[in-house]
Amino acid sequence: MIENDWSKMSPVAMWRDWVVKSEQQWSEAVSTMMRDERAGSVLNKQIDEARMMHKMFGEMAQMGLSAANLPSRTDFEALDERMGRIEDGLAVLSAELVQLRSALVDKGAAVTLRAKPARTRKPVRTRKAVPASKPASRKE
Amino acid sequence: MVTAVTAATAGTAVTAKTHSLGNPMQRALERIGIQSEDFAEMAGPLGVTPKETIYAQGTLKLHHYLPLTDEVYRVPVLIVTSVVNQPYILDLVPGQSMVEFLLRQGFDVYLIEWGRPRREHKDLVLEDYVLKLLPECVARVQKDSGEQQLSIIGYCLGGLLSVLYAALYSARHAPHQAALHTAQSKRALKNLVCIAAPVNADGMVSLKAWLGPNFDEEAIIDQFGNVPAEWVQNSLRALRPFGKVSGAMNLLNNMDKPDTVRSNLRMGKWETDNIPFPGAAFRQLINDFIRGNKLIKGTWDIGGQRIDLSQIRVPFLHLLAQEDHIIPYASSQQLLHMIGSKDKQEAIIKGGHVGLVAGRGAELRMWPTLNEWLAARST
Repeated sequence: MIENDWSKMSPVAMWRDWVVKSEQQWSEAVSTMMRDERAGSVLNKQIDEARMMHKMFGEMAQMGLSAANLPSRTDFEALDERMGRIEDGLAVLSAELVQLRSALVDKGAAVTLRAKPARTRKPVRTRKAVPASKPASRKE
Repeated sequence: MVTAVTAATAGTAVTAKTHSLGNPMQRALERIGIQSEDFAEMAGPLGVTPKETIYAQGTLKLHHYLPLTDEVYRVPVLIVTSVVNQPYILDLVPGQSMVEFLLRQGFDVYLIEWGRPRREHKDLVLEDYVLKLLPECVARVQKDSGEQQLSIIGYCLGGLLSVLYAALYSARHAPHQAALHTAQSKRALKNLVCIAAPVNADGMVSLKAWLGPNFDEEAIIDQFGNVPAEWVQNSLRALRPFGKVSGAMNLLNNMDKPDTVRSNLRMGKWETDNIPFPGAAFRQLINDFIRGNKLIKGTWDIGGQRIDLSQIRVPFLHLLAQEDHIIPYASSQQLLHMIGSKDKQEAIIKGGHVGLVAGRGAELRMWPTLNEWLAARST
């Protein structure tokens, strides 16, 4: 006996389903409007305004926050950059350690390295996974 | 719900429940007494396939994934990711990871993570990527694997970088800037695979309209140095304006399916985790690629050398998504014609730009296609 999925019968779920199905058409319609160069000009004007507002609000907020002895976005960004530098420095050290370990092995030191697999694998026709729906392909 | 253990008295441990910091919706549910799963925990840690960083310079990291088979194909694979997206989309979690899939099929996999540029990296140009960093990574892969040849898989903007690299290093007069690597790199490329790589800016109609002559990239670069990650994110989102709404509705309709929710949360995390675009490279891409469409016109010079895609003679595969709103088919279809290889192929796969590499569709369609093509050319 086939059981009905009653959760799908919820009007809200049905509405959401409809939104999902029609989203592509809405997005396509708006994108088509936005493709116009005039729309591009309007958008660019808004981007300029947003950029200026970002700058002005940033400066204002920074003054207020520093008066209240609180960190501003600039402080967090500076912290983020410092952490980024530390993270990159650690990656350099980590890579150096890997290189050092393999250099030691080359010189005969008693360091254990993970055994490298043989590079002898051959494609086996039966091994390949067949795609569920075959993709369209063209050769030239 | 996060459980914290605090020492209330000496020698006694008390288990106390604390509010999760992650999600406001979850906190609201907890306040009214409804227990919910921790969304952050549901997504889980991403990009966890075991790897070693074998080379790092600036923000760049070259990772080598630890093989999962006893025997691997002779030719290693180097994955070149986009400069504006986190690479972990190719390695979300076990079972939802292109990298893990390739490892299980017996490939020896390396991946370039470009990292997050800081203000000090605002002057990075495409020449840095194509003539210095990428050749250095190729040389490192050659040294680490002991093989002179490798296959490159480039995704999205990483595909464009791979194509530029392949064209320059396949040319009769390879770039003098990378003289150290020339001898190795000229013969290094065995196969080239591009996944949704843009080549024709005229096909990116929306981006071309927005980034036309009225767009003031200099003002953005002056103010921020690099194009902020949230700006990159918003512009990608604007290419499909209602996509986010649809995603949220889809998530709500599938709340009873934990696997779907988890997968959705992972994708959502990645989509909001963009990387700033280095200012100078952005300027170059806007002027030469988007406005000038110089790659198609055959007038694009990188490091003083003309890019001629017909110089690429290695086996070539282009994997494209049928419903790609970021790199539409019209912007990538010409790549196949422009490449000079005799052995070249294009596969158009159902799905979108992200679904092409991650998710159920990728697992069923794209990964097996890639494996079948690459395995036959990796011995």
